[in-house]
Amino acid sequence: MKKVKVATVWLDGCSGCHMSLLDMDAAIISLAQKIELVYGPLVDAQEFPEDVDVTLVEGAVSSQDDLNKLKKIRQRTRLLISLGDCAVTGNVPAMRNSIPVQKLLHQVYVEGVQANKIIPTDGVPALLKQARPLREFVKVDMCLPGCPPPAKAISSVIAELLDGKKREGTLAVKFG
Amino acid sequence: MPQKKLSVRIDGELISAVEGQTILQAARANGKRIPTLCDLEGLTPVGACRLCIVEISGTDRLFPACTTPVQDGMSVTTVSPKLTQYRRVSLELLFVERNHVCSACVSNGHCELQAMATEMGISTVRFAYNYPKLAVDLSHPRYVLDQNRCILCTRCVRVCAELEGAHVWEVTSRGIHSRIVGDLNQKWGDAKGCTSCGKCVQACPTGALAEKGWAVEEMVKKNDNISSLVRRRGVQA
Amino acid sequence: MPRIQDIGAFTAVRESGMAKLVPQVPRIAVGMGTCGRGNGAEGLYRAFAETIDRSGMNVVLASVGCFGACFQEPLVNIRLPGLPLIILHRVQSNDAVRILHELSRGNITNDLAYCKVEEWDHITAKLKYGRGYPEIPLWNDVPFFKGQKKIVLRNCGFINPDDIEEYIAVGGYQALYKVLIDGRPENILEQIKASKLRGRGGAGYLTGNKWEFMAKAKSDQKYIICNADEGDPGAYMNRNEIESDPHSLIEGMIIGGYVMGATEGIIYIRAEYPLAVHRLNRAIEQAREHGVLGDNILGRGFKFNIELVEGAGAFVCGEETALIASLEGCAGRPRPRPPFPAHKGLWGKPTNINNVETWYNISPIVTLGPAWFTETGSPKSSGTKVFSLVGKISSTGLVEMPLGTPLRTFIYDIGEGGVNGHQIKAVQTGGPSGGCIPPEMFDTPVDYESLAQLGSIMGSGGMVVMDDDNCMVDVARYFIEFTHSESCGKCLPCRVGLNKSLRILSRITEGAGTVHHLGLLDELSRYIRECSLCGLGQTAPNPVLTTLRHFHHEFEDHIVARRCQAGVCEELALSPCENSCPLHMNIPRFLQLYKENRLDDAFVSVIMENPLPASTGRVCQHPCDSRCRRQTLDEPVNMREVHRFIADSVFFSDRYEEVLKRVLSRKLEPTGRKIAISGAGPAGLTAAFYLAMLGHEVTVYDSKSEAGGMLRFALPEYRLPKAALRREIELIERLGVKFIFNTRVGFDVPLNELADRFDSVFISIGTWRESWVYQPGTELKGVYPALLFLEAVSKGERVPIGKNVAIIGGGNAAIDSARTALRRGAEVTVFYRREHKDMPAIEEETQAAKDEGAQFVFLAAPHRVIGDKAGNVKALEIVKTTLGEYDASGRRKPVASDEIRRYECDSVIFAIGESVDFDFARASGLSLKPSGTIDVDRFSLESSRSGFYAGGDVITGASNVSNAMAYGKQAARNIDMKLMESDRWGEILPDFEFGQDPPEVPSPNHRNNGQMLAPVVRVRSNAEVVMGLSHEETLDETCRCLRCDVKVANVS
Repeated sequence: MKKVKVATVWLDGCSGCHMSLLDMDAAIISLAQKIELVYGPLVDAQEFPEDVDVTLVEGAVSSQDDLNKLKKIRQRTRLLISLGDCAVTGNVPAMRNSIPVQKLLHQVYVEGVQANKIIPTDGVPALLKQARPLREFVKVDMCLPGCPPPAKAISSVIAELLDGKKREGTLAVKFG
Repeated sequence: MPQKKLSVRIDGELISAVEGQTILQAARANGKRIPTLCDLEGLTPVGACRLCIVEISGTDRLFPACTTPVQDGMSVTTVSPKLTQYRRVSLELLFVERNHVCSACVSNGHCELQAMATEMGISTVRFAYNYPKLAVDLSHPRYVLDQNRCILCTRCVRVCAELEGAHVWEVTSRGIHSRIVGDLNQKWGDAKGCTSCGKCVQACPTGALAEKGWAVEEMVKKNDNISSLVRRRGVQA
Repeated sequence: MPRIQDIGAFTAVRESGMAKLVPQVPRIAVGMGTCGRGNGAEGLYRAFAETIDRSGMNVVLASVGCFGACFQEPLVNIRLPGLPLIILHRVQSNDAVRILHELSRGNITNDLAYCKVEEWDHITAKLKYGRGYPEIPLWNDVPFFKGQKKIVLRNCGFINPDDIEEYIAVGGYQALYKVLIDGRPENILEQIKASKLRGRGGAGYLTGNKWEFMAKAKSDQKYIICNADEGDPGAYMNRNEIESDPHSLIEGMIIGGYVMGATEGIIYIRAEYPLAVHRLNRAIEQAREHGVLGDNILGRGFKFNIELVEGAGAFVCGEETALIASLEGCAGRPRPRPPFPAHKGLWGKPTNINNVETWYNISPIVTLGPAWFTETGSPKSSGTKVFSLVGKISSTGLVEMPLGTPLRTFIYDIGEGGVNGHQIKAVQTGGPSGGCIPPEMFDTPVDYESLAQLGSIMGSGGMVVMDDDNCMVDVARYFIEFTHSESCGKCLPCRVGLNKSLRILSRITEGAGTVHHLGLLDELSRYIRECSLCGLGQTAPNPVLTTLRHFHHEFEDHIVARRCQAGVCEELALSPCENSCPLHMNIPRFLQLYKENRLDDAFVSVIMENPLPASTGRVCQHPCDSRCRRQTLDEPVNMREVHRFIADSVFFSDRYEEVLKRVLSRKLEPTGRKIAISGAGPAGLTAAFYLAMLGHEVTVYDSKSEAGGMLRFALPEYRLPKAALRREIELIERLGVKFIFNTRVGFDVPLNELADRFDSVFISIGTWRESWVYQPGTELKGVYPALLFLEAVSKGERVPIGKNVAIIGGGNAAIDSARTALRRGAEVTVFYRREHKDMPAIEEETQAAKDEGAQFVFLAAPHRVIGDKAGNVKALEIVKTTLGEYDASGRRKPVASDEIRRYECDSVIFAIGESVDFDFARASGLSLKPSGTIDVDRFSLESSRSGFYAGGDVITGASNVSNAMAYGKQAARNIDMKLMESDRWGEILPDFEFGQDPPEVPSPNHRNNGQMLAPVVRVRSNAEVVMGLSHEETLDETCRCLRCDVKVANVS
């Protein structure tokens, strides 16, 4: 049987959702037989591949770089899943949203440090005005909230997808 | 004077109610649950959150169960695809209105808003988030008012006025700019009228009013206490 | 001051009032409502007073309220004893001396007269002024007043609102007296119930029923409230009623108090109405002094007090429970009902709340009885309603009409249609939470039920008219912005729902909307409507829901095409001229480039946006003119002539080859895709130009022997010299476009063959079939369809037309035929079934035809053509028409009369419109619209057959050159996008650096129109009539541009 191509992406989040993903105990073994992990923090691939079946995205869209990535992912993915509260609601990354970006950077990199009071610009992507959830930028096929979403919820969603079902709304997952 | 008994149908089931009861009261008295966030047993209903909307046979309009009195022979529907859809919209709007960051909230896991969303199967909202800049009032020695988590149910306003008689809380401004304020827009700590009784904190359905000193997920509200207090005192709203 | 305690005292006051109202000396009364004052009535009043003082004339000078025709302010009524009351309009302060002077000589100033009143029905009394002045129309013969029935406004503009005696003179407080004498409130209640009077605040609840609840409620204290918190933008009827006639309100309330058993009345009025507050206070004071208010009213032992409370200005306080909260000193937030105010209202006591206008209907009903009242209006809605007719309409003001009057009567008869010929697009009834009703539904009777069916409301009676300058998405956004800012915030749907609606609407007007937004907006609006606590939220989504329903295409334009037709949404348009141009030419850019002495750049800028600039420079309908902001100073910039000059300067000079090279260099690499175009008219040529630029291989088929379509074969040489057109076609050929002539697609080349050989097909065959009316005589020799005639002439063929030519029609083809016939030495008469202003032809052309000697007969439709024995045309019989009802286009429909007239003539040319060649359309197998045009997707222009596109007249019906070209352009972009799977449009468009500073001092000169050949000269030749601008004139025009395209960057 052809393995389902799955990618995971880490945008502005704490990686907790990825931790939860790995936390599914024995279920991960049977899952591994059905899927091929083609991209993500857990594998080596450098470039997001074409023709991915399912992509789980963790984190809010916070920078221009996040946004570019997300748009590319959307083009190359059949089923896009917002994984965790940051991707679904903005969550903690969005707590900066009422502060203007320049003021925020100044507070963190100038007022908040003892030495080297410089706002970094080289090699760091420009922040968007606000960190916002995925579906405010691209079409999202499914949302799995939680901070992090419980491992069981993740594994059952993937398992159901592999069975060809899509049952959003029947999962009793909560925000937070 | 004995109150007149009425027969009412709720979701097809015949129940008996008392004249003067609201649909919500009659339903509760018969062990039927209608979702609501602004209503708290014992306080005057205000009809603000609109989650308790129900359909009544013979009319196309929707009615809030918390403020609509029962009438003899009335047939009420509390669950329908349309009601569910509208309740979901209500919850979506509550989530986008302010900054409900459950993962960083003392009430996470014990929040009526969060529980309602889970119950309604809400896994995302379709509207853009407002992300307003809102104040957190830490001036009171024992309690916190976090506007980010307030849903303007006004339970605090009513419990303070109707049970404690202190009239500390009010709603200021209007529309999307409405805010709960204490004692003519004083900091809570400076509000002379506040007796620090904590009823508002217990009545609050979310983490907007909380006791100090709790970490995430630790604040458990006891709003049953409010209702039982009302029953003990015999106060009838 | 005498307290009226018996009928004798009553009569004395009445006579004293009458002596002021109809004195034995001349009386001058100045309309001093807020509308009058806003237009200078105070200065006018002073001027009258000073002049009277100086001259010592024996004249009564009074100030009165408004008579309703606010667009004619300041209004003054004057009267000589025994003669009619004359209403003067637009009276200025410096007219005062003249008016008084004439008056002293027993004359009136006829030039200022608007209308006259010979007798007036105050309902509670009738007043006869006298007869005379046959030259001045009666008030209800003036369009604005025709059909109006003044019950509520019965005293407005006649009596002095500050003088209770004048009110009593016209029967005031008689109804109250009658009620108190009768002494049986239940009788009055029955009368109010029988009158079927409904609340005029908007909800339309039966007043009698409301009163009955209240009357039955048992309490030691009851309250009566008048809701005068009129807060709808554009509605001011309550203000005017109170300012003009405050006592009618007081009388109505006292009667209400008596009937319902209340002794306290409260008038809750907006603090923003200082004049109304002032006059009411005065009236209440006078009423007390005269014993009609307070203790022992009219000596009948009844006690009633009225208190005035000024509201703080929250819109939601118009909602009755919020109003009560406000009166109690709380924040104005509504509470759920039940309990209803009739049981538990102000301070927990039974309370009745009625709108101002409801109270005004009470004394008339008491005086004349319910049967009289129900004679007016419709069965379910009796009586009249006052509307404030405002917005984009010729006549604005307060209009009192019987309920059930069709909307059309308000808009076209009373309001006299759009301003300066603008097309009316919608009417919003009922204030900010009313719905927008499109012209197709103007037959709807204005009553509570009918408006509700359309998703609108009666509201308090606002009627805001919108025309083609209004963007309906922006209108919806504006009203949601209003209700959003006025939402009290108590219930969630209104507080957050409107906030989200506003955000979505704003995104759409900013060009950031998505199709997904529309569904969300609809769902959200329904939710807010059904779930909100009070009337504000329940009706607030009406503007959105109705615009989504009736103006869905405008939402689509904003979202899909990123265009705002009305040019309101700034982010979606470069400038008003660019927005109005069908081709969306960057007009300010080419003007500026020419101004910077960069002719070549200007030409490239023009040609890349409009491949036929020499043609459009001559024959375009120039919609840009009507949008140009320069016309607010003098006249619009002559953009058409400037781009013609730029085009001619390159096409007919040695720069041509060099500039052409620049254009050719922009062509993209060959794509290997082949595209067929059927029809080499403006649409086909434009599509060919762009598709070739995009690197495709283009073949154009045409049934005629040359390219150009209508430009070549229908437009006469004197308007468009064929040399100019040939230059343009040559450029397109140089791009590599292949032409195959004398070949009809669909007949000589089957569509399937094209489908095999080409990747895409664009059909732009135009409308070459003349619409034909089969009337007696059209088969005669000498009867021609205009297109056939023009085509034959353009080919140099002989067409015998004789000496006298009759032309039928009012479009460009009619005028072209007329002027062509004139050039052949004929005498020409043009017959048109409507009026001159309704002619679709370009006005300059019509004028030119007149100058050349064409005769015009308007309001004339063809009846039959009469022939001689040889079968030649001998005469034309026309039937005179009159203008009837307005149709959806906002023009009056011609209606045939009995009058037939005969005109001797040798030939008749019919130019009554063109249509699609049905044979082709049917044979094509493509899906058609009922009109016979090809049905395409509005945005992609793809037809029912994949890969087959259509554009130009063949999809719209006969239109004009620029519109057709716009479709060619749109089709080219979409064909390319589909074939290449990406949007490559930007790659061929040039980019220029050019001046971005608006001129500090724009050229002060008037519009340069270019020289024209003298009529006597030009009518003898085919030479081009409009000779075009010179370099200096062109430069001057570019310096007249105000540069609306320059938007100052947001300084944050």
